Amino acid sequence: MNRFDRRAFIKAAIAAAPASAFLGLPQTAHAAAKARVVVVGGGFGGATAAKYIKLMDPSIDVTLVERNATYTSCPLSNEVISGHGHIEELQVGYDGLGKRGINVVIDEATSLDAAKKTVSLKSGKTLNYDALVLSPGIDFNYTAVEGYSEALANTTHPHAWKAGPQTLALKKKLEAMQDGETFIISVPPKPFRCPPGPYERAAQMANYLRDHGKKKSKVIILDANDSFSKKGLFEQAWKRQYPGMIEWVAGAEGGKVTRMDAKTNTAYTDFHEMKAGVLNVIPPHHAGNIARNAGLANAQGWCEVDMLTMESAVAKDIWVVGDATIHGDLPVYDAPKSAHAASTQAKAAAGAIVAKLNGLPAPEPFFVNTCYSITDEDWGFSVVHIYRVQGGKLVYIKEAGGISPINIPDEPQLKLQRKLEAEYAPGWLKNIMADAFA
Amino acid sequence: MKRYTLLAGFVLAALGAAWAAHAADAKIEALARSCNSCHGLNGVSVGASMPSIGGLSESYLYNVMLQWKHGERYSATMGRHFKGYSDEELAGLAKHFSALPWVPVVQSADARVLAHGKEATERCETCHGATGGQPDDKDTPMLNGQWAKYLELELMKYRTEGVDMPHKKMRKNAQKMGEDADVAAAAKYYAAQPK
Repeated sequence: MNRFDRRAFIKAAIAAAPASAFLGLPQTAHAAAKARVVVVGGGFGGATAAKYIKLMDPSIDVTLVERNATYTSCPLSNEVISGHGHIEELQVGYDGLGKRGINVVIDEATSLDAAKKTVSLKSGKTLNYDALVLSPGIDFNYTAVEGYSEALANTTHPHAWKAGPQTLALKKKLEAMQDGETFIISVPPKPFRCPPGPYERAAQMANYLRDHGKKKSKVIILDANDSFSKKGLFEQAWKRQYPGMIEWVAGAEGGKVTRMDAKTNTAYTDFHEMKAGVLNVIPPHHAGNIARNAGLANAQGWCEVDMLTMESAVAKDIWVVGDATIHGDLPVYDAPKSAHAASTQAKAAAGAIVAKLNGLPAPEPFFVNTCYSITDEDWGFSVVHIYRVQGGKLVYIKEAGGISPINIPDEPQLKLQRKLEAEYAPGWLKNIMADAFA
Repeated sequence: MKRYTLLAGFVLAALGAAWAAHAADAKIEALARSCNSCHGLNGVSVGASMPSIGGLSESYLYNVMLQWKHGERYSATMGRHFKGYSDEELAGLAKHFSALPWVPVVQSADARVLAHGKEATERCETCHGATGGQPDDKDTPMLNGQWAKYLELELMKYRTEGVDMPHKKMRKNAQKMGEDADVAAAAKYYAAQPK
């Protein structure tokens, strides 16, 4: 096959993956040196990127580096804390990607060298790459809340903002609450992972307390911000389902927690001092340390990227996807740090990388996000974001997207809308997990 | 020699046309990739509340997407997505997914439920066929091996008063079904059919 043919075939594959009939290319078509792609981070972003690069061009040598052998999904982990789901349902390994011909390395990527195009692993190994996908997620800035620390997070004061052992630890603390005690959730300044997450958590905690004879207990959200995702939808749900149980304190009203005392379980803001039964401080976060240490993050701690391809704005041949990035139609319509956003960014990056490694222009990307929140049995709602390329720029499509309708005057129709989305949430999770890991 | 040149010319022309067609489809393929997140690879869903869409008929898919986009058909979520697509893109997506094979995800149910379901689906047969796998026209979706949970939720839409579901006959028949238990049994009956 001559060069023109190969280019055309890959072009079709980039376009048509994964259904393309062209994917069964004879290996001779790829006689040239195999391009090497290393993916660091095996969450929704990294796993999806690794899979789609392999689907689009099977000749590319893809290696995924991830420190944990099992992944635990953050979406639907609030429901595990409240007892409505099992953590096993949120977990998946990397066998599926292995079967697709991706080299899965369970190891920790400790540093990278953008000039030499290498990634160093904890085991001492070094990986060379032609293209690097970084999907490092987030790391926490514990020093922003005086008195908090990683050691406390791993023992008595789990934030559970990464699903896993801390999710179960927080569940135990919730279950041990006495009736009348307060569950405090401290929300960091924006941007943070899962914008509706703290408010869904509040509902799920209240759900447990309401249904386990602890109706005198309260959930107080101490928020560093003055508004939040799907606010009208949450407030409607809280009022209907947990009247008087959930209180939100905005940043302007002294909601920002600056200090905590782990011994007395007290949160301190500029205006308030509040004692909790369970003190759940979600510390501010930033791009995963490996990206920051490599100089890929801005002063605020997030990785700036080319909005169309996800290639790092500061380093060549490195594509950053997922929560570590600042992406979207800035400054107003930033993409949420969500599993779905990570997945859609990973697909765009995969298309751009495969094109570049084959000497082709990057295909036009398309970004979509759906975030579901569940506040009670049969009560869910969502926000949809669609970003498209217009005039060479990534634009948030205002005519589309948006939140579920808040006010539906007819009660059966309102209940239908909320039930449907409560059911869609787990169906979405199953599919998007399979899309990344299977 | 001339003959070979001519032949090569034909082959090149044919390949060129194929490539051109693929280039035209490139955008659609990229859009279709994002559908995988919720509807599964090749439109075969693995989540019970999300329908499989690969292999449904082109005109059914196109009509439903258009109706959602233009607010003529109720949806909890999809309408908000499709307002971001042109009609041509929706036509392209319908063509793409209809060209994939229909892969029934056969779900087991106990014999009593299946017998109840068979009875409850009597009036569905005319249009969907005895097992849901023989729709009588191109605007009627396959139901065999579709997810039971999804079918049940769709029937809830048809059975809720005042919800915009444009297919009158379908609405009438869904509302004629008796108890909610009939709905669940009907959904499980179709979900259990391999063909």
